[in-house]
Amino acid sequence: MVRIKIQTNSLNVWYGDNHVLQDVKLAIPERHITAIIGPSGCGKTTLLKSLNRMVELIEGARVEGRVLLDGRDIYDSDMDPAELRRRVGMVFQKPNPLPMSIYDNVAYGLRVRGIDDRVVLDEAVEEALERAGLWSEVKERLRDSAFNLSIGQQQRLCIARALAVGPDVLLLDEPCSSLDPISTRRIESLLTRLKNDLTLVIVTHNLQQARRIADYTAFLYMGRLVEMAPTEEIFEKPREELTRNYIEGRFG
Amino acid sequence: MRGVERLTPYITSALSLIPIAAIIALTSLIAYHGLGGLSWRFISSSILRGGVYEAVIGTLLLFSGATAIATPLGVLAAIYLVEYAPRSWLTELVERAVENLAGVPSILYGLFGFTLFSKLLGFGISLLSGWLTLACMMLPIIVRSSQEALRMVPKSIREASLALGASKWTTITRCVLPAAAPGIATGVILGVCRVAGETAAILLTSCFYTMRGLPRSPLDPVLSLTYYLYILIVAKAGDTPLEVIFALALLLFLLIVALNSTALILRFRYRGVKRW
Repeated sequence: MVRIKIQTNSLNVWYGDNHVLQDVKLAIPERHITAIIGPSGCGKTTLLKSLNRMVELIEGARVEGRVLLDGRDIYDSDMDPAELRRRVGMVFQKPNPLPMSIYDNVAYGLRVRGIDDRVVLDEAVEEALERAGLWSEVKERLRDSAFNLSIGQQQRLCIARALAVGPDVLLLDEPCSSLDPISTRRIESLLTRLKNDLTLVIVTHNLQQARRIADYTAFLYMGRLVEMAPTEEIFEKPREELTRNYIEGRFG
Repeated sequence: MRGVERLTPYITSALSLIPIAAIIALTSLIAYHGLGGLSWRFISSSILRGGVYEAVIGTLLLFSGATAIATPLGVLAAIYLVEYAPRSWLTELVERAVENLAGVPSILYGLFGFTLFSKLLGFGISLLSGWLTLACMMLPIIVRSSQEALRMVPKSIREASLALGASKWTTITRCVLPAAAPGIATGVILGVCRVAGETAAILLTSCFYTMRGLPRSPLDPVLSLTYYLYILIVAKAGDTPLEVIFALALLLFLLIVALNSTALILRFRYRGVKRW
């Protein structure tokens, strides 16, 4: 039996009057990859963003219900969103390096925590880049602007940057949608390695990708969680008719 | 109609020559009369010996003080408006007001500064009153352009920083402001341009015709290039050689051109660089 890292209970999200997530009850297993699939506009990104309270930055957003991280509600008033986001990191759809050097990008999360010791930072930066599989490609040019990297490298830099602050959970919002197939494969094998010590949640449009890397898959439709099961089951013998139709490409 | 259609390019191109011709005429007029009198000696000797030294220093003092006051206030106001203020009618009203303030005639700023700073607060006709009045004039320009610069910084940069556990204020100071800095700097220089050629506002608040020497404290009056030029033209027209008046005008002209070019260069240098 796997341990549950994140549990949502009757999670509801509104944007103004628009009810985008309805009573979502989802359990995310620790140190596995969970994929969230579903047609555009079904609330996948919103669901992901409610797991580290990034959803609160969207104007007009209102969240109800509970999201338990290791049994503790992240929407509790004494939970510091900044502290939460250090434990639950996020990688976005479009690579978004900060306008600074490669090194400074990776060191950023540590510096804002007040860590300025050169030796500590050097070590952390190397380790994070190593884990993201980028070290050998950038070690000679850590002082270069992050924008000089290819798009695929930029996305791995964003992963390295998130890893540097030492999260337990990494949320990924369609991280490969702007990448070519080779960069995509690279990121996929990286994620498969990372699940040894991290819980990963990935939103994806690409069903093949979910199939290749996810241990569990959740299907979201019109703001509701239709079903969640081990990936094999979702793709081979889904319980719901709706899921089957989606998997078989009858709508999307 | 066909005829007009065919003539349009010629008419418009002819019309576009008018402003160019005006600039050339103005520049050559000032340069023709002024070049002879403009020299390092002229700039560096006291007005008592036919130079403009006190006015040059006075102008620099007025600018730099006003800029030092207006920049932090303007940038902070823009940060509030862009990053914190809720979208409401009040915010909207403040933004419209700032826009309109940029167009208020400078003599009104002068009157306002005179009433508030010189009289009510008792700063008198002084450098300090001038700083505060000019700062008020620069503020709307700095606020507007800083707002624009901040809005240009993509949301993805803010998200990246917040997702790494940075607070909102840290995100603004470490990521957003550095990214917006070139735009803000351009705005500050444009603000300086606005007050650099200013006469009316300082005429009422900070200059005395009889002022001699440099101000020894912010509460002393001061001379500026524009004000001194005004005096030479209006009050001492008869006994000042034309050459001196135009040399002063040329100096002022060059100063403004230099400021504007700096703003332009800054803008172009950063437009070309892909930063995100």
